[in-house]
Parts: sequence; C-alpha cells; structure tokens
Amino acid sequence: MPEKRSEAVISIAGLSLRFGGLEALHRVDLEIRSGEILAVIGPNGAGKTCLLNCINGFYHPYKGQILYRNKDLTRLSPHKIAELGIARTFQNIELFSGLSVLDNLMAARHVHMKHGALLGCLFFGPARREEISHREDVEEIIDLLEMNAIRKKVVASLPYGQRKRVDLARALCMDPSVLLLDEPMAGMNVEEKEDMARFILDIFELKKIPVVLIEHDMDVVMDISHRIAVLDFGTKIAEGLPSEIKNNERVLKAYLGEE
Amino acid sequence: MSAETLPQALRENYRKFGARVVAMRVKDRGVWQEYTWEDYYLKVKYFCLGLISLGLEKGDKVSILGENKPEWFWAELAVQSSRGAAVGIFTDCLPEEVKYYAEHSDSTFAVAHDQEQVDKFLEIKNDLSKLKKVIYWDPKGLWTYKDPILISFDEVIDLGKDHANKHPGLFDEMVDQGSGDDIAAFCYTSGTTGLPKGGMLSQRWLVASATEWGRLDGWFGKNYEYLSFIPPAWITEQGIGIAGSILAGMVANFPEEPETVQENIREIGPHILFFGARLWENLNRMVQARMIDSTFLRRLIYRITLPIGLKVADMKTGQRKISFPWRVIYFLAYHALFRQLRDRLGLSNLDVVYSAGAAVSPDIIKYFKALGIDVRLFYGSTEQGVMTMPRKGDIRPETSGPPVPWVEIKLSEEGEILIKNKYPYSGYYKNPEATAEKIKDGWFYTGDFGHMNEDGHLIVIDRMDDLKELAGGKKFSPQYTEVRLRFSPYIKDALIVGGPDKEFVTALINIDLENMGRFAEARHIAYTTFTDLSQKREVTALINKEIAKVNLTLPEWTRVRRFVNLHKEFDADEDELTRTRKLRRTFVEDRYKDLIDALYGDEDAYKVEASVTYRDGRKGVIETSIHVNEVGDQK
Repeated sequence: MPEKRSEAVISIAGLSLRFGGLEALHRVDLEIRSGEILAVIGPNGAGKTCLLNCINGFYHPYKGQILYRNKDLTRLSPHKIAELGIARTFQNIELFSGLSVLDNLMAARHVHMKHGALLGCLFFGPARREEISHREDVEEIIDLLEMNAIRKKVVASLPYGQRKRVDLARALCMDPSVLLLDEPMAGMNVEEKEDMARFILDIFELKKIPVVLIEHDMDVVMDISHRIAVLDFGTKIAEGLPSEIKNNERVLKAYLGEE
Repeated sequence: MSAETLPQALRENYRKFGARVVAMRVKDRGVWQEYTWEDYYLKVKYFCLGLISLGLEKGDKVSILGENKPEWFWAELAVQSSRGAAVGIFTDCLPEEVKYYAEHSDSTFAVAHDQEQVDKFLEIKNDLSKLKKVIYWDPKGLWTYKDPILISFDEVIDLGKDHANKHPGLFDEMVDQGSGDDIAAFCYTSGTTGLPKGGMLSQRWLVASATEWGRLDGWFGKNYEYLSFIPPAWITEQGIGIAGSILAGMVANFPEEPETVQENIREIGPHILFFGARLWENLNRMVQARMIDSTFLRRLIYRITLPIGLKVADMKTGQRKISFPWRVIYFLAYHALFRQLRDRLGLSNLDVVYSAGAAVSPDIIKYFKALGIDVRLFYGSTEQGVMTMPRKGDIRPETSGPPVPWVEIKLSEEGEILIKNKYPYSGYYKNPEATAEKIKDGWFYTGDFGHMNEDGHLIVIDRMDDLKELAGGKKFSPQYTEVRLRFSPYIKDALIVGGPDKEFVTALINIDLENMGRFAEARHIAYTTFTDLSQKREVTALINKEIAKVNLTLPEWTRVRRFVNLHKEFDADEDELTRTRKLRRTFVEDRYKDLIDALYGDEDAYKVEASVTYRDGRKGVIETSIHVNEVGDQK
C-alpha cells in the first residue's frame, strides 16, 4: 500500500548523460519518495542502469542535478555517496567470490567501522566490541534473508539465485537509507523470484526506506511496486501508479512497437 | 521422583539446578544461546499466566504449530501448568488440515511459529469460533499485520509478569493441583486410513512411560545432549524431547533451521538421537553417493573397510565372541575410516540411537552397525508409546527387540500384534466408539502383523490391512519389499503392487533425483526435469539392476517382475504420503490405476496426464510418456 506521506528523498532534475555522440539519458526528471517502492522499467538499452549509475556516482551527467535530501550528489564519488547511505545491488553480482558469505557481509560493514586497521588486527578492546556488534547486525540480515544455511559457504560455490541474495544482503549491511536494486530477479526461476519479491517487501516494511527497483518481470513489478517510471531511449515516457502504466499507450508502444 | 506431572517435575529441576545448569540450547543468529532450568521455568510460568490473563481456562486445549524451538516446549509446559493439553500440528500441514486439528481439539489458543504458520490461522480463523488469540514467536514479516487476534510470544510473557504481580502464588497453586489424570497432550494418529484420530495422553502416561523408558535405556544421570529435531507433534518427541529432557535432565538442543541440521549436529555431537527411517536412508544414500564421487584412494579404503565392518556387525548380531584378530582388524578399519565418517556426520558421541515409525531395511541397520552406531529400531504407536525395544548389546537388524517391561504382547490367530500396557492411554478425543473398537478383553489391537522369534524378539512385518494376496492365494507384504528397494541410493520411494486378480508383483519407482542426477552427470546424460531423467534408458537400466539385486533376496512369488519409473515424486501435499512420510497405499493405487493396468498389459509405454497440486494450492497438468520395463530384461 502506498503511504500518504511522500516527501522526495532523491530529486533528479534534467539529468542528461552522454557517451561520445550517444545520449544515454535525456533530460530525465524523477523523484524518489520516502515510503515507496519505485520501479524503473523500459526496453533493453533504455538507460535504466545508467540512471542508477548516475545516482550512485559511477557516471557523472553532463547536465542536470541529483539532490539527496538537498545535498548535491552530482559530482560526488561513489564511496562518498555510499557513505551517505545510498546502497545498491548489481546486475552482474559484485562480490568477493573467494570469501565466505559472512566475510563478504562483514566487509560491507566497513563503512561503519570506526577503529583503524591496527586495533582491528589486534582484535582488542573497543575494536573487539565493535566487531561483535557488527556481527550482530550482519546476523540480523542473514536471518532476514534466510541465509543461515549458507553463512559459511564460499560465495563462488553458491548457485546463482543465492549469490543474488548475498548481493542484496551486502547492500543491506551498509544500513542504507535508500536501496537501489538492479534487476534483482534476473535469471531466477519462479520460486526464487517469489522469495526475492517477499524479501524486498520485508526489507521495505522493516527498514522503512525507499527502494528503487529495475526489473523486467512485469508481474513482479505490478505486484510489489507503488509507482512506476518508464524509460525509452534515455527519455522518461511515463510515470504513475501501476494501474495507470498498464494502460498507458506510449508504454505499450515502447514495449510492443508501433502498430 | 515424586512428581506426578511434567510441570511439577520442571519445578523440581528449577529448585534443584536453578541458574546453574543448562536445560536447552538454541542456535540463533549464528550463536548457540543457552537457557538454564531457571529460564525454562520462568518462561513457562509467565507464558502460562499470560495466557490466563487472556482468558485461558483450566483444562483448555492449545494448538501449537511450529518447528522445534524452545518456545514450542515452553508453550506446551505452560498449557500443562494450567492443567490443559497441547495439540501439536505438523508444520507442513495445509490450512484445511490445520483447521481440522484446531477445530476437532476445541483449541482456544494457537501458538504459531512465524508468518507462514500465522497466515494459515488467519485464513481459517473465522471457522474457529473458540479461538481467542494466535500467538507467534518469530515476528519476521509480521510487522505490518494489524489483526487484533495476533499477539507476540514476548507480549504474552509481559502480560504474565503483570499477572504474577497481581496474583502471587497462583502459578504454584495450579502446579500443585495438577494430577496424573490430567490430559497433557493430544497426538493425532497419522491417518494412513481415514481421518486422523486424537489420541489423548495423560500426565501419568507421559511421566511414567518416559521415566521407565529412560531407566531402561540409561538416560538418567549422564547429562546427555539431545538434538530435538523430530516434530514435537509426534509422540516420540513428546516422550524423548519434552518429557525425557525434563525427567532425565537432558539438554535439549534446537537446530537453527531445518536446512542446517547436518551442520548443527556436528557442533553439538549429541549422545542421544532419534532419526526416522527416511533419515537413516537419506544419510546412507548420501554417504554412498559421496563415496562414488570421491577420490580413488578414498574409494579403495571404503571398499576395504566396509566389508570388515559388516562382518564384525554380523558377528555381534550372532552373539558370537569376536576373536582377537578380528578385533585388531576392526580397530584398524575403525580408525582408517569409520571414525572420520562418524565425525563428518556429527555422530561421534552417540550412545543411544533410535529409529521407529516406519520399517527400516535391515541393510541400513547393519550398515550403521558397521560404523559402530547401534540403531535401535523400536516398535511403538501413537496410542501405546514404546512397545518393544532392542536392548543394548543385543541389537539385531531384522527385529524390533523384546517387549519393554511395562508391556505384555501376544499374537492373535491371524498374526495381529495385541498388547496390554501397564500405562494405558486415555482413548481418542470425542470418539469413544473408535476407542472401544481397538480394545477387546483388555487387549489393544494394534492392526500390525508380525511374529515373535524363538528369543522373544518381535518382528513387525506390516499393517494387517496392507498385507496382499496374489492370484493363487499366496500372501506377501509390499512394504517388506519396498524398504529393501529403498536401500538403493537411486530409489527414493517405491510402491509394490499385487492383488488377488494379479499373477505377479510389479513396482512404481520414485528415483532419487539428487543421486540419479549425479549418476547422469558423470555419464554425460543430458536431462531437463525429473520426468525426463526418470525415463532415460540408462536410468531405467540402472533401476532394473537394483531391483534384480533385491529380487534375489525375495521368495520366488514375491519378486518384482515389471516396473515403471514414476514421472513425479510422491508428495504429501497431494495426499500421496502422510505428514510423517508414510505411503497412503490405497489412495496412490487408486490414483495411478490406469498406469498399474498398463503394468499388467502388453504395451511397453504409457501416456500419463497427471494433475499436480503446488504448495500454494494451484493446480497444473503434466503430460508425459512412461516406459514399462521388464525386470532382468535389459535392452
């Protein structure tokens, strides 16, 4: 259910991104509001991932502005933006594949670790207490995403669906205030998709943070998102409630082609 | 021990051990959390008082639906403290099944594990007029649920603390009033035939039979670690897990998730353990399959040492003295392989090991005996508890041991097992006719067919109703063949078919997807689904060989002549199995009637269009062609 209080958390205005002569995004305006799951959909190459990459600082637009709670993100580097609490997952899963699930998640907590490498190595005093409290937070997330059985498994040994889940857990470990998910259900079977959809809803309900979701599976999008924005060739062609988008002619054209 | 009821025994433990001795352990957030007897007692006390402040009355029934967790035990003891009965429900029951149990038992409260189980109660709550509250202990996913019937376990505990302040002494008073005649728990019969019946267990029954059982098998005074893992809705867990741990002072350990049991067993290293027949089979299949995948050297060691183990197991069974050279050889074999294998499986510390509930192939018992694990396959029932028990040092793979001291056994003329119990059960709830039907002249008719060997060990063959006759009048037990087939790592399940109108015996086989998948991979056989794999020529040939092997051990007329690999697994969600994973024979035979006809026909393939029910209740149809295979005939 969309909640009524809907202040903008991230406001994107006139965003344009160019690779040489190719304009990947063209004057995109978009608001990400508190208390909503916003789905971004569009055909392949529409610029969905580019949009996320701009928000979290991988790409810098040549025009336009991204404001996060009135702070300008446009020129910040990715790690600065991560520290502000904007976390994301990746289409192609970016994890330390040789480390265990637990180590991956603990590493993700490092943005919140206050003590230096020396104390950390000695595992002494405050650093020890800090490590334990971080482990508790990580365990909460392991429980939330039902990963108890794979906690100590090496990531490379896990099947694809579970690696996707670890990637989501890694993003959650940053204690984000905004969560960006890039095709979290790509390549999954029906059951895995249902699990993932349930996890996304659980996270949304528990953490009460806005979630931006790029997804191709229309059933899932219609089911769990509160609002949908549609991109086509780098331009936003529609935005609205799922019921509105379903019957929007421009959207149907973009997906199905001209009659 | 003077305690007449479990709550009284719990209070004694609390007074004796307090906060000094650990009573339970549960793995939570990756760490084993401990609860002492004091914690156990106080949780029970406050939960009980909390329920009372919400309207629980003396003698009320409360449904409990969840995985094995401390909360399950606390809830049961809390209900019993107010002289009521706990009604255990299996976690994989569908909402309408849950409705049957909750309605039939007149439950006034329901205690549910998590969102999945709470959803079931919310779906049926309007049909349960007596239900006052649904209490959950894992709040995950329930944050936004607003239904006023819901309340969390911790909130009830808080209510109980308030209530305790207002009425000090109330709890002790109730526990003091408790009597051995109070009904403590309902255990529903698994319902292989008809609707499940609610067997009532009194406090006296639970306390006395668990005490005697524990004495017999030496649970007392050893600080045993127990892994609580079989469903508490089942009588065996009521006996060992709930009653046994309180009476004998064992530590009950709860695994983190059903999927982590294997890992958790290793961390705990339990001394006492109960695995159902299926689990021993799975464990055995797993070891065998892993060995096939293993390195050459390991396979070699396995091939040398296992026969040594089996040989010594045979000698022990025959009660022969094991000669010195054999002892040396076994010692070497044990240290070369068995010890490590046991460690890997988490079975290193085992002292007392049980199985029951369904027949286990003697080969399985022998196999574990070779590893030095003496599985006691006892004979018990929902109504009577333990009836026979293999004794330490005299465990034979093919028998269920002699009767326990508090039970008398005789056989009827037809070979039905009749028993007389020093601790009779309290009958079926709201069904005196069924209760009376089962007892004639003081003997309880178990409905099981078996015989006694010359040493007084009981051998249970099958359910009376399941014995079959072939054309010509020869009797045979399908189950006898089925358990032997299941010893194969590639056969997960089998249904043996025969009847007075049939000349010979045939089989429906469920292949084991995991092990067969490995087999296919190793031979580069491409397959898509279970159905596809089951019909591959190499796969049927392999099954053919496995059946031929079992045939050699069977009397001529009961040998399996033809079989099919079924296109899907038997499934409890489709009523083909009971929730304790027993085959619902008549139902399955009816369902696959056409296929069975094909087994006795001339065609060598058969088209099926089977409807499947998914977990969420949706229905679908699959169409496929199944090959009918002649055993021994390998094309």
